[in-house]
Amino acid sequence: MPEDHDWEAYKVPPTRTPVVESTTSVPNPVNFIQTVFSNVLDKPVTFVREWIERQQSKNKFYYYHQKFRRVPDVSECLEGDYLCFFEAEAQWRRDRLVDAEIVEIVRERLGACKQREGPNEFQNCAKEAELLKQVTKAYQDRYGDLGYHGNARKCLMKQKHRMMEERKAAQAKQAEES
Amino acid sequence: MAAMSLVLRAAAAWAARRAGGAGIAGNTGITGIAPRLPGTIVPVRHSGGHGKRMFIIKATSFYDTRFLNLLRFYIFLTGIPAALFITYVNIFIGEAELAEIPEGYVPDYWEYYKHPISRWIARYVLDPPEKDYEKQMALLDIEAKKTEMRLMELEARRLMRHRGDGPWYHYETPDKNLVDNSMKSTPDN
Repeated sequence: MPEDHDWEAYKVPPTRTPVVESTTSVPNPVNFIQTVFSNVLDKPVTFVREWIERQQSKNKFYYYHQKFRRVPDVSECLEGDYLCFFEAEAQWRRDRLVDAEIVEIVRERLGACKQREGPNEFQNCAKEAELLKQVTKAYQDRYGDLGYHGNARKCLMKQKHRMMEERKAAQAKQAEES
Repeated sequence: MAAMSLVLRAAAAWAARRAGGAGIAGNTGITGIAPRLPGTIVPVRHSGGHGKRMFIIKATSFYDTRFLNLLRFYIFLTGIPAALFITYVNIFIGEAELAEIPEGYVPDYWEYYKHPISRWIARYVLDPPEKDYEKQMALLDIEAKKTEMRLMELEARRLMRHRGDGPWYHYETPDKNLVDNSMKSTPDN
């Protein structure tokens, strides 16, 4: 069963529904509908679910998230050392998945903030928007246009080209200033 | 329906009288296998309100129904036990809960999966991922060594052929003591 969202993570401001003072003697139909819903749908389903959870809690077991050791990177591998390449490639792929998940989490935070704030989103969510912008720029810089056959080596070459461009731009600026 | 057939019989008698048949007796002469004029109304047995029985001509559905029955049978033959087993596992054993790795504890490689059937498969059917990793690295190592050997061999061949001072590229010539000089010994042969 999918878990419920963590209500503490994104703090929803308290609702401000006013207390109703009824002035008629007609009973509120909402109460009747609520009792019908609770007795017909809610109670049986909850009962079955709790029975199932009682059966399952007799022998609990756990699963963990695997922690991988860090291995030498592609930039630390000698040329022709294919085993080092293999391990660095596996580590790079894991890192790419982790970074993709990070971007997704930041995006979800912005979405939750927008949902909470409603019309105030442009002012109150500015921090989350800025964070998302930085994180996506960083992801694009590192893993961006490598294509489907992107691997650790191509990523390293992309970084090398980026550094060369930066150095050329810095030298051009220096030549301009002097 | 009985009233209907009586009315029909009366109508038939009236039609026969109109046609001028001899021996007008009402019931006799008209019912039976005697030829009748076209347009004579004749009583027909309708099966109690279902309407006249028709012989409907349509293409055979024997092969189609046989195929669908067999398909259902063979799918359900293993599908139902599998569904029951999976339902039992999901209800009574349940999925694992996510927990932090306790201090100083190294989980076994199957304890990284959530569903109990995935855990069982990882534990008893598949190899541990460490073994898979090492197998892949061993294959890579063997292939890398083979490429290196081949390159070195090609280089050695090239050098020995070029310099001529190595053990390869020696061509055996026969011993000079075995040569028969009798044909070459006199100038007049």
